[in-house]
Amino acid sequence: MKLAYYPGCSAQSTCRELDASTRRVAAKLGLELVGLESPTCTGSRQVRAINRDLFLALNARLLAQAESLGLPLMTVCNTCTLNLLDTEAALRDEPETRARVDAALDALGLRYRGEAEVTHFLWVLMDKVGEERLRRAIVRPLTGLRVAAFYGCHLVRPGKHYGNVDSRNARSIERLAALLGCEPIDYTGRTECCGFHTMAHNERVAVKLSGMHLNAAKAAGAAAIVTPCPLCHTVLDTLQPAMEAATRTHIGLPVLHLSQLLGLALGMGEDELQLDRHMVRADRLL
Amino acid sequence: MPITSADIVKVRIRRFDPSSDTEPRYEEFEVPYTPKMRVLDALDHVHEKLAIDIGYRWFCGVQRCGGCAVRVNGRELLACWEPAERDMVIEPLQHAPVVRDLVVDRGPFEDRLARMQPWLARRVPHPGFPEPITHKDMAAAVPSFDCIGCLACQSACPVLDLGAATTFAGPALLVQFAQQALDPRDTADRGRIAFEEGGIFECISCYKCEEVCPVEIPIVERIIEPLKALAYRAQPDRARHANAFLRLLAAGPWIDPAMLVLKIQGLAAIRHPLRALKLVLRGKIRPMRTLFGSRATGAAAADVRRLLDTFDRRR
Repeated sequence: MKLAYYPGCSAQSTCRELDASTRRVAAKLGLELVGLESPTCTGSRQVRAINRDLFLALNARLLAQAESLGLPLMTVCNTCTLNLLDTEAALRDEPETRARVDAALDALGLRYRGEAEVTHFLWVLMDKVGEERLRRAIVRPLTGLRVAAFYGCHLVRPGKHYGNVDSRNARSIERLAALLGCEPIDYTGRTECCGFHTMAHNERVAVKLSGMHLNAAKAAGAAAIVTPCPLCHTVLDTLQPAMEAATRTHIGLPVLHLSQLLGLALGMGEDELQLDRHMVRADRLL
Repeated sequence: MPITSADIVKVRIRRFDPSSDTEPRYEEFEVPYTPKMRVLDALDHVHEKLAIDIGYRWFCGVQRCGGCAVRVNGRELLACWEPAERDMVIEPLQHAPVVRDLVVDRGPFEDRLARMQPWLARRVPHPGFPEPITHKDMAAAVPSFDCIGCLACQSACPVLDLGAATTFAGPALLVQFAQQALDPRDTADRGRIAFEEGGIFECISCYKCEEVCPVEIPIVERIIEPLKALAYRAQPDRARHANAFLRLLAAGPWIDPAMLVLKIQGLAAIRHPLRALKLVLRGKIRPMRTLFGSRATGAAAADVRRLLDTFDRRR
């Protein structure tokens, strides 16, 4: 199965282990990842807020490049996924905006047809690879590993992209974790916000919110956190000592990318998955 | 299993009277289920048959007045508009003082709103009457007019959990504020107010406000983001994060998070030297590349600059 692959900024900088482990796991599962011709940042939450047309054009450019490959566009970041989905919706529903963006893309020699399929690695695993194939690929069941899923916001909200259901009903990571042999635990922070998008100018919000979520996961018996988003990972892993100081508790919870958890079950070594690149040690899990 | 007439609805209500209680307590009631029972019907039964002193509030009963918003099993909703569940823990809204039981004090919300000039401010009145204004002119402000002021979003906002530690006004206030701020006739300095009274850039974009909005206002995309744009246009240097992001985007097709933090925080970025050192040792940041990396070239960077030339008129 071939997919257009868009890693995004974090997976190429602060979370390079996410890119590396995703590529390795994909290869093991027979997924061929094809890079876009000349990708750029999707604009995070910042560009979209202050210059919507520029934001839409940036994302439409990525979608157009995926269309020219004729492949679904797979991301590994919640916010990139939402930015691309929001762009699809805006360009479908707003003809005047579409005309402005089309004109800008035309000047770059590109055309967006509105046919791209945006998907996330988690959805690829659950919907395209499928539970049966995943189960067959497991060589080292992670029996008894108590993991807490941290979905983050943009893969479950806003509801208009995700079936308008209560975001707390999300279960795919727990299903995947159980399939790998883990014991998924329930806790209050599963679908809450890590606070990443204000972290660069005010990390207090992220420390307070994520501190609460990690303490809840710990109290529920988690041995590790697993997240499908590098932005959540950055907060939960990098700021964990600050959360410990703020809440006067010892948390010590390793935070794994989805690809790393899966990679462990597929028999990959800690070096291959670059588990040593985390701030909270994750290389003593098994 | 669907709830039927033979069922009993278990309702646990958070009781608290600040004039006499030191701690809130939860009181359990059993309510016979009736077909199409709403949360409000269950509360009415408790009030009429079981506990006449229970404090709750409603007026219209048809999703218009916004008076009956409560939290049921941890989720904000209008009691008049949602079906009763078999087991319900009913609590008052968060981020507002409790008057009694399920009734919260709207006073602090209204006081803060009053500081945000919640009226159409015009330097010069429009000469003559009527003033011509089209639907298209008002399109940006229209979503905010759907607000029924129930404060469900305000309760759901996790940033407000920080209390006095955040300057964020919260989604409900910003929706009210947008009624004037996004009205093309308004001439007040809404950008400044969005910063100073709204704390607009403290929004974390979690969409929890939208998820609980009973009238489905796209609060983040149609209210908060346009207000951020307004604030940025008024005082770009004050919107440090957004401003730095845009400048980095102009320099290369990808954002280096280390450089972003450095540009936003300046020297304060290294106030946690141990953290910074560990980030370097774990390969999460690469200082040489961040500080001395060259400006990006190639098709992607060139395209980004052309898009910026097209859409960023400030350049």
